[in-house]
Amino acid sequence: MTPDYAGAFSDIVRGVTNWRVWGQAGWQEIKRRYRRTALGPFWVTLSLGIFATAMGLIWAPLFNADVKTYLPFVTVGMVSWVYVTSTISEGCGTYTGAEGLIKQLNFPYMLLNCTVVWRNMIVFFHNLIIVIAVVVLLSVPVNLNTLLVVPGVLLVAVNGMWITMLLGMLSARFRDIPPLVGNLIQVMMFVTPVFWFANQLGPGRQHIVTFNFLFHVVDIVRSPLLGQAPAALSYAVAIGGAVVGWTVTVMIYARFRRRIAYWL
Amino acid sequence: MQDTFIELQNVTVDFPIYGSSNRSWRSTLLGRTGGLIRREGARQQRIVVRALESLSFRIEHGDRLGLLGHNGAGKSTLLRVLAGVYEPTAGNVVTKGRLSPLFTAAPGLDLDDTGYENWRSCGMYLGMTREEIRQKIPEMEEFCELGEYLSLPVRTYSAGMMTRLCFALATAIDPDILLLDEGIATGDARFAARAERRMQAMIDRSSILVLASHSDAMIASMCNKAALLEKGRVILMGPVKDVTALYHERAAMQREAAAAAPAPSEAAD
Repeated sequence: MTPDYAGAFSDIVRGVTNWRVWGQAGWQEIKRRYRRTALGPFWVTLSLGIFATAMGLIWAPLFNADVKTYLPFVTVGMVSWVYVTSTISEGCGTYTGAEGLIKQLNFPYMLLNCTVVWRNMIVFFHNLIIVIAVVVLLSVPVNLNTLLVVPGVLLVAVNGMWITMLLGMLSARFRDIPPLVGNLIQVMMFVTPVFWFANQLGPGRQHIVTFNFLFHVVDIVRSPLLGQAPAALSYAVAIGGAVVGWTVTVMIYARFRRRIAYWL
Repeated sequence: MQDTFIELQNVTVDFPIYGSSNRSWRSTLLGRTGGLIRREGARQQRIVVRALESLSFRIEHGDRLGLLGHNGAGKSTLLRVLAGVYEPTAGNVVTKGRLSPLFTAAPGLDLDDTGYENWRSCGMYLGMTREEIRQKIPEMEEFCELGEYLSLPVRTYSAGMMTRLCFALATAIDPDILLLDEGIATGDARFAARAERRMQAMIDRSSILVLASHSDAMIASMCNKAALLEKGRVILMGPVKDVTALYHERAAMQREAAAAAPAPSEAAD
């Protein structure tokens, strides 16, 4: 396939700038999911809250940790983890889930990626309620570091866009990708320090965390919400990941964007 | 609007077929409808269907082109290539003007959304802006006669009501180049007459029309040019009268041939 960079860039720019369409589509999907339920999108919030509280109370003694530090850590960690990983796993269905549209119309596919990322961001905002509850009840510090959550959330979104493009294309062509990704995410939930503190690994095994991309992108959201500044390394990894990821994805997108309709 | 055109230069479209075992394709390879099925790759493992083969033509402002042909002749694929849904495997499509593909009346329709919500979301996918949709809502309301139902989820609609909802939206657009698949159906008889007027009004607003249909009557009433497709090739393109005549001639020939030769016995499986 000869790469078509002009077409790919035009698709990306037109998609991202047409925020009215993806803004509306993202909201609409959230509304749809929870129609006829009493709690609506807060179901995610509630179940996440119950899960995190139970984990926090039971695992704190297991780890000999103080509930007042462990519970906020797990709760905020899960909220951040869900934001990152649901963007990734839903990204697999970006194109396969929009088969009807892709086969009927010519439009910038980037709208679909933006919709997925935006939708997950909306869910994250709902889940912030649990974070606020924990912050208030367990007096988690709120300070200038807290403001760093804004660049953190945006950096995840910027990474989310290339990830949904790349995984979306791979999943459209190879239907084994979505279950594979789902599986990996499940395993990574235990490999990544969400339920345990990174320093519990001991100095000898820190590389397990250092080389984990997911740890860094989760932490740039988690640490600010706990009133701490994320490590400079985490920002470096998230920004580096965005640069490398976008570069590789654009190269692939330029070659295969026009084949997506044929793969569906 | 005067200088809109579509130009096809040697357009070929191949569809790769994924996930079909060779066995299940044996019977299809003998089929007489549809595009040519070939095998590609080092071990002949890839199955490719040639849906369109080196098509070249140009249509301009004022042209109303009807695409005639049997099932699988390539009509819908050609419409989708014109719409930019499929980029041709080889050759080029050059287009000037805004494309309005109407293959399904409401792309992205969601049963749980209300009529109004669907108008908004489907309308945006059809290329309308929010403002345009807002402006068109009174006339769509009047045309579809759904009243209060527009505020209910479309899940509660009857089939006819659904048609009205979709048709009202589909015919509200202001197309430059209108691409129509014949499936855009209509509801009950009284509605059908109004639907036809509304459809005609939309077509009159367009600069170029391309319509795919099996029905030569439909093409004769709406088009001033026609093309006959067979197995992904244009057999004849020209005045509607000549093309429909050839269409009938070839259909009759095929019926005779089928009657003369005993039908291939279907393998029981």
